[in-house]
Formats: sequence, C-alpha cells, structure tokens
Amino acid sequence: MKRPTRILAASAAAAAIALIAAGCSAGDGGDSGGDITLTFWGSYGNGGNSAQQDVLESTLIPAFEKAHPGVHVEYLDVPYDDLLQKLTTSAAGDELPDLVRADLGWVPRFADLGVLVPLSKEMDDFQELADATYPGVLATNLWKGEYYGLPLDTNTRVLISNPAALQATGRTEPPATFADFQKMASELSGTGITLFADGGLGAWNLMPWIWSGGGDITDADVTKSSGYLDSAANVKTLQMLVDLYKAGQIGNGIVGNEGAVSTSEGLPGGNYATILDGPWMTGIWAGQFPDFAPVYSPVPAGDGGSISVVGGEDIVLTASSKHQKEAMEFIRFTQSEEFQLALVPTGQLSVITALGEKQVALDPKLEIFTKQLETARNRLAIPNASEVDTILNTELVPAFEGTISAKEALANAAEKIDELLAS
Amino acid sequence: MSISTLAAGAAADAAAPAPRPRIRRRRPSVTPYLFLFPGFVLFVVTVVYPIVQAVQMSLYDWRIIGSATSEFLGLDNYARALGDEHFWLSFGNTAFYLVATIPPQIVLGLLIALLLHARSPIRPLLRVLYYLPVVTSWVVVSLLFRFLFADQGLINWALGSTGLTGGDTSWLGDRWTGMLAISALGVWKGIGWSMMIFLAALQGVPQPLMEAATVDGANAWQRFRAVTLPAIRAAMAFVTVMLVIGAFNVFISVYLMTGGGPAGRTDVLLTYMYRLAFGDLEFGYGSAIAVILTLIVLVLSLAQLRLFRDRDGVAR
Repeated sequence: MKRPTRILAASAAAAAIALIAAGCSAGDGGDSGGDITLTFWGSYGNGGNSAQQDVLESTLIPAFEKAHPGVHVEYLDVPYDDLLQKLTTSAAGDELPDLVRADLGWVPRFADLGVLVPLSKEMDDFQELADATYPGVLATNLWKGEYYGLPLDTNTRVLISNPAALQATGRTEPPATFADFQKMASELSGTGITLFADGGLGAWNLMPWIWSGGGDITDADVTKSSGYLDSAANVKTLQMLVDLYKAGQIGNGIVGNEGAVSTSEGLPGGNYATILDGPWMTGIWAGQFPDFAPVYSPVPAGDGGSISVVGGEDIVLTASSKHQKEAMEFIRFTQSEEFQLALVPTGQLSVITALGEKQVALDPKLEIFTKQLETARNRLAIPNASEVDTILNTELVPAFEGTISAKEALANAAEKIDELLAS
Repeated sequence: MSISTLAAGAAADAAAPAPRPRIRRRRPSVTPYLFLFPGFVLFVVTVVYPIVQAVQMSLYDWRIIGSATSEFLGLDNYARALGDEHFWLSFGNTAFYLVATIPPQIVLGLLIALLLHARSPIRPLLRVLYYLPVVTSWVVVSLLFRFLFADQGLINWALGSTGLTGGDTSWLGDRWTGMLAISALGVWKGIGWSMMIFLAALQGVPQPLMEAATVDGANAWQRFRAVTLPAIRAAMAFVTVMLVIGAFNVFISVYLMTGGGPAGRTDVLLTYMYRLAFGDLEFGYGSAIAVILTLIVLVLSLAQLRLFRDRDGVAR
C-alpha cells in the first residue's frame, strides 16, 4: 500500500516542480539565439474594432523589425477598461512590459510610482522629438520637471451637431459662441430635441467649457484651486450649464444618470442636438447609423476663446525593461511620419504638428479636430487626477439639482482639490 | 449489548497480558495529510495570505511598488473610515440592499419551494426555469437590468403605458430608485438559489409528523408553522447567513448598473473600496475598509448562527 502512495507523492512533486519551472521560463521574455523581444502593451484593439491593431501588427511592427534585425516586438492587446488595473497590479508585481501605450492621464501616476524611465534625461534626441509635437499633448508626459514619455496619438473633443436639429432651428451653422449656444436652446424649445448631452462632469467633460469660458481649475503651478475653480468666470460658465439643465436643454446623463440615452445614440437618434466628442465617433456611426451625416465644428467660444481638452495616449518605457536601448529605438519609430500617418485612416490623430496638413489630406473630416488641437489643453498632470474627476462629479451635481448655488458647488470642489494638492 | 461485551473484553485483556506495544500505531499515517496538502496550500495561498496581507496593508499608507517605502499609520485608516461620510453612505446603501433583498428572497424562495414540492409533471421544468437566473452571468443580467431601468427602458414604458407613472422616472439617476433597481436584480437573481436549498430541506420534513398533524385537525398554515418551519430551521439559518454575506459582497450589479453614480450616491462598500484601491491607488485605506467589512460579516454571521442555535436549544 505504501509504494503506490510514495509513487503518487513523487509524481505530484515532479509535476509541481515541472509546473514551477515552466512558469519561471514563461516570464523570461522569450529571447532566443541572441534576438531580443520587446514587449508592448496597449489598447489598439478598442474592444473589437481592430482596425488600428491590424495596422500595428501587420504593417508597422513588421516594418520596425525589418529595419532592426534581431529585434522583435510582441504586442499584447488589453481592453482599455482593464489596462489600468493590469498595469497597476503588474507594477506591484514587477512584471511590467518594456513599453506601454498609456492613457495620457496615467503617465504622472506611474512616473510618481517610479516605474517609468524619464525619457528627457535618458534619450539624447528627446528635445528634438518633443519639439515636433503639439505642446498640449507633450505636457501630459511632464512630471516633476522630467518628461516620462512621448505623445503617441492624440485626439480632442469638438462640437458635433445633428443636421436635422440645426434645420429645426433654421440654422445652417452650429452655434459658434456661448451666447449662440444659449440662443439655440430657446430655438429648440417645443421641438422635443435637447440642446446638449454629455456623460458626466469630470475634467474631460467640463474643462472645454471652463477654459473656453476664460477660467481654469488651479493656478499655473498646480498648487491651489480655491480662487481659480470658483472664479467669477467659472461661476458664470457653470451657471450657464445649470440654467440649460434646469430648462431641460441638457440631458441628465451629465449628472451621472447611467440610464440616460447615451450621447453616441442620442445624437444620431435625434434626442440631442449637439454633443462634444472625439474623432472615433465617425467610425462608430458609419457602422451603426450609415445615413447620419454629423456636422463638426469647434467648441463654442466663450470669453476665453474656443479651447478643448487633449486626449490620447503616450508611449512610455518602464524602468524594469532589460532592453532600454532597443525600446528607445521603437519609441523613435513611433514618432516617424510612417508610423503616425499609417494610423490616421483608422481615426488616430497625429501628434506631430508638421503632419497636420497631410493628415487632413488623408481624411478631410479631421480638419476641425486638427485645428482644435492647436489650442487644446491638458488636464491636471498629477498622479491622483482620477480623484479630481471624482470631486468634480460629486461636488457639482448639487448645483444642477438646485440644492446649492453654482458658486457654492465650485467652492466646495475647489476646497477638496486644495486638500488633494496639499497631500 | 455493548457494555457487557466491552467488559468481557477488558477482563480478557487483564487476564492475559499480551505483548502490548506493537498493536498501537505510534506514528500516524502521512497519507491523509498528503491528500489534504494541496487543498491546504491552495487555501493558505489564496485565502489566508491575502487576508493577512490586507490587514497589514490597512495599517500603512501602502505604496504598491515593492521598492517604495510605505509609511506606517497604525489605526489611522480605520479612524479615517469612521469619519468618512462616503464610507457611511456606502454602508447605508449596503444595508438598504441587505434589507431590500433578503426577506423577499427567503419568503418568495420558500413559497416557490413549497409550490414546487407538490408532485407535478412539469416540476423539473419549473425548477430549471426558477434556477436559471442563478446560473446566468452577473455581467449579462446587470447590463440587461440597466437597459430595463433606463430612462427609455421597458420598465418606464410599461409603467407609462399602464398609467401607473408618467413613464419618465430616471431610475438610475437617483440614490433610492437606483438602489431599488439594483435590489430588484438581486432578488430576481437570488430567489432560485434559496428555492433550491428550501426544496432540498423540504424533502427532510418528517411525513409521519405531517400526517399526525393532519389527523389532529391542523390546517395547512398550522402544519406549515408547527411542522415544516421547525424542520427546515437549519436550512433557514444557512440561507440567511449566506444571503447576508452575499448582500455585503454586492459589487458587479452596482458597478455595471449605476457605476456608483450619480455623484457616488449608489456606491456600496465594495464599489467604494474598489475605486479607492484601483482608481486612486489608496490600497491602505481600501484594505482598511475590506477588513472592516470582513469584521461586520463575521460578527453578523456568528450572531445569526447563535440566534438559530439558541432557538434550537429551546425547541429541544
């Protein structure tokens, strides 16, 4: 009886050792025969719309590998909603890849954790590469005086209008100013169409209004919000939005109602006259609403002009990468005309200022976006930027509900942001 | 039988002092431990270790990177939770979910179990139908309920077309209506499970007792109260304890139906904890909330078990 038990135990132990050994070797990066494999994580797959991932994997990576014999790039696509969590747990477990296509809001967070390489310090030609990009987009990589990444692709929000709604008000052009925007609200009265809709009050949603209204969220050194977020200009801007909301001209998705008709369906569906959104919507509507011909125009201008918010992704190099020289080569490749323009037809805007015209020639619909990018600004580049979103989403809602004034709501939010900046 | 046999055996042992030691095995066999070992290792690695780690993290301003130094805060994170309005709001919402979902799951689950206990040719089919929500993915049904309770969803359409409401309720746009919608999903998805447990327990109700009660003139309600309920007390305790634990663990439905919104007003303890840890990288504070949650569940579970046990004792 004992012998089979021992054999079983020995087999189990052998199997366990084999499994552990296999597990260890899987994490080694898979270099063989002197070749180097760079690991690269991103969300080019866009949860199923694989046009960008196809270009990356079938055109761009092979082109890089051809130009750099012996260097392979292994791309892992992670759905956007899971990527931050995966990066966080991988950083904790020291299992990060060589390169990451990171949402621009995440760069200060990971730089602060100490897991990224300061490219401005380590790349000889960094300044030259940085100078070629849009300043608002480049700024997303700055943390404590060093740049921890380079812009990879960008986007911004512009005003998108439903042509039928414009027609219902007798207009040929979308509203160009705050005053015109408010006027359109009264023109829409009785048509059953809501003037505007958005999905929340986070910085991505709110800042185009704040900046265009001539205000800001903090001082230039990002040390204080009180006196800035609750400025007279911002009170006026928020009051405009609150008044429109109370008049039923802004959908209640803006206060966080997940049951509201989404902006992507409500605009072509005729529920909403206008929304603010990015260049990817064109592709989404082309599939779902082929007859819809949206009208693109700049964000309505207030006292501060027409200023939108920068979005997009940066490419960052992790401090744990064993192949930093080769990884920097790949970063240089991402800044090339070949790389940047190849992704334009898939809805990605180039980060290189000089490619603006070629980009518009490739896709004329991108003209408004390219123009808007010239003045677009970055949100607060701080590690806890997500908490700023939570504060704005939480503290401003009572103003829309009418329980406190716009001034009080902004002051409450500013006070909380002050605490955040002080910590 | 046994006492005399044992006594005889003992006498025989005393009369003939046989060489003692060999019969007794001093070394217990390792075989059972070998079988226990993999499960035990798995338990330690996946349950015990994370719990210990969470308790440790809750005492620090935890930095997730191994090389970074985490500042020791003692019980500061716990004190912060007690003074954190949003913690109490999330706790209140969790308590609402608990109160709104557990009684209906027990009452309706038991009612359906009693109905399905009766013999009927379609009984297996009905059991499957009632159990189907239990095995359906939380993600799928949460999204489904989000659409049902949307501003232009089926619920509003039904209420509007029957004239019960104007059909313009923003269910997910307000704290209490949002929690009601989330609780509705919890009840719908959980009834099948409690029904199945009660159905199994009903098989164990002693028939002779039931027949005796009938002969004594007890009506259906009296039979249910005096015979059925005491007989399924253990199942009732199990269902209640598990449902309380489940209510404190509500996450996916809230995360997907309202995302904790609007303005964080439908946050429950787990969604708040998740946002703190993975959104704001406040792993120390998030862990403190996790530990508090564990203690609450532990105390409530022990209290319930005690309650049911005491009543059992009195009954005997």
